[in-house]
Amino acid sequence: MSAQSAARPEAPEAKAAARMALRYARHGDREMAIAVPMGSVRRLEFPDRESKSAFVTAVLKARCEANEELELFGQPVRNLSGGARQKLRARLGALSPIVGLINNLNAWENISLPAAYHGKPPLAEVAVITQEVLDAFGVEPRIFLARVPDELGKLERKIAAFARLMIAGPELAIIESLDEGLSRAECARVAGFEQAYRRRHPAGTLIFVDIREES
Amino acid sequence: MLRALREIEGGVRLSLNAAGRLPVLRKPPVLESFLRQVYFTGVTASTGVVLRASLLGVLIIAITMDVLDADADLAVKILLLVVFREVGPLAAATVIILRSGTAMSAEMAMMRISGQTRALRYLNINLYDYLVVPRVAGVMIATAALTFYIQALAVAGGLLFSPFIIEASFLELAGRLFDSFTPIDFYYSIIKSLLFGFAVAASCCYHGLNPPDLTNNAVPKVVTRAVTQSAMLVLTINAVFAYVVFGILFFGLVKATV
Repeated sequence: MSAQSAARPEAPEAKAAARMALRYARHGDREMAIAVPMGSVRRLEFPDRESKSAFVTAVLKARCEANEELELFGQPVRNLSGGARQKLRARLGALSPIVGLINNLNAWENISLPAAYHGKPPLAEVAVITQEVLDAFGVEPRIFLARVPDELGKLERKIAAFARLMIAGPELAIIESLDEGLSRAECARVAGFEQAYRRRHPAGTLIFVDIREES
Repeated sequence: MLRALREIEGGVRLSLNAAGRLPVLRKPPVLESFLRQVYFTGVTASTGVVLRASLLGVLIIAITMDVLDADADLAVKILLLVVFREVGPLAAATVIILRSGTAMSAEMAMMRISGQTRALRYLNINLYDYLVVPRVAGVMIATAALTFYIQALAVAGGLLFSPFIIEASFLELAGRLFDSFTPIDFYYSIIKSLLFGFAVAASCCYHGLNPPDLTNNAVPKVVTRAVTQSAMLVLTINAVFAYVVFGILFFGLVKATV
């Protein structure tokens, strides 16, 4: 960057773009435009499963189709290099059926897998965060952590995936179809995810994604 | 034809990738997966082969002496040659294909079909690092260990039980065995079994990660392809080794006779 350009004040649009965690637009049959500011919590409802899944996939892959436009943290993803895309993806996380648990690992191994693989955060911190999440949802850790996903209920699986998400601590987290398959009482319990996420990541952006229920 | 070429290309690429990424075994979850693979492929398989491997040695000595009318010296030499060079590695490879090859290819196909491999990718976990490398390395080590175990059992069984059916004492047979044994026999079988393990694991991982479609019906197809190709690869490697070693050692390099 030259000294001249560095001295020049940033254009207001560029500033606004930089403050956006996500901008997404879809052209064609079902036009849509979404903008989510950094640090906010948004609930997005999509008209159908396809458009919801297209949005989630585009964001998590940091890649968009020809009829889509996507900017993450003010950066258009269309012409990103492999390395830049990878860096961007490391700032994202999801609690979604497409980022499910691994069947042959128990809950603890599932929760700690990304941290153990990437070497951060340390496992002691992983244990603390996991304990915090389990305490918040009233789950007994010893039995829960030793179970494989098939032995866990739907709510428990979501709690394990949420603990994994909390450990990764993404700047932008997508929570997809949170209530799907849960009873009314369980829905009330998972509603606590937002608070739990906010407590640990006050500056993070949280997007809840669901399908619009036709009345 | 095109599919076969694509499979060869995919298999070679997977093998090169796995071989080049061995340092990832230092990562705790990869190391754990590797140890788990060694345990399930090698340790759990070892209990099932004790009796069969022991009887193998007796069978070889008995048949040699009966059919070839050989003396104990020749019988022990043949036991050594057959068990160490051919049957040991082949028997271990067969056990590995049937026990672990089937399980591994089915498990990986299920992971692919149920979207677990996609989940790993979203977690920025490289599939080669987490799924392929520990399995390939684990199966290689387990195949070598199982080969040695089968060889030891077959030879020990041959020496222990043969005195009941032939006229030679255990000590006599053991003495002849130690006279005939050369370290080359050991190295040869270890190298061969490592290659067998590599071929079986690479083939099973390749087919597991590339099912023909993403439905549950693909799992049996994946297992069939993986097992068939593993067996073919093992037999091909065995033939190449036999040609190279016996061709050069005993007959010199093969030359056309005019």
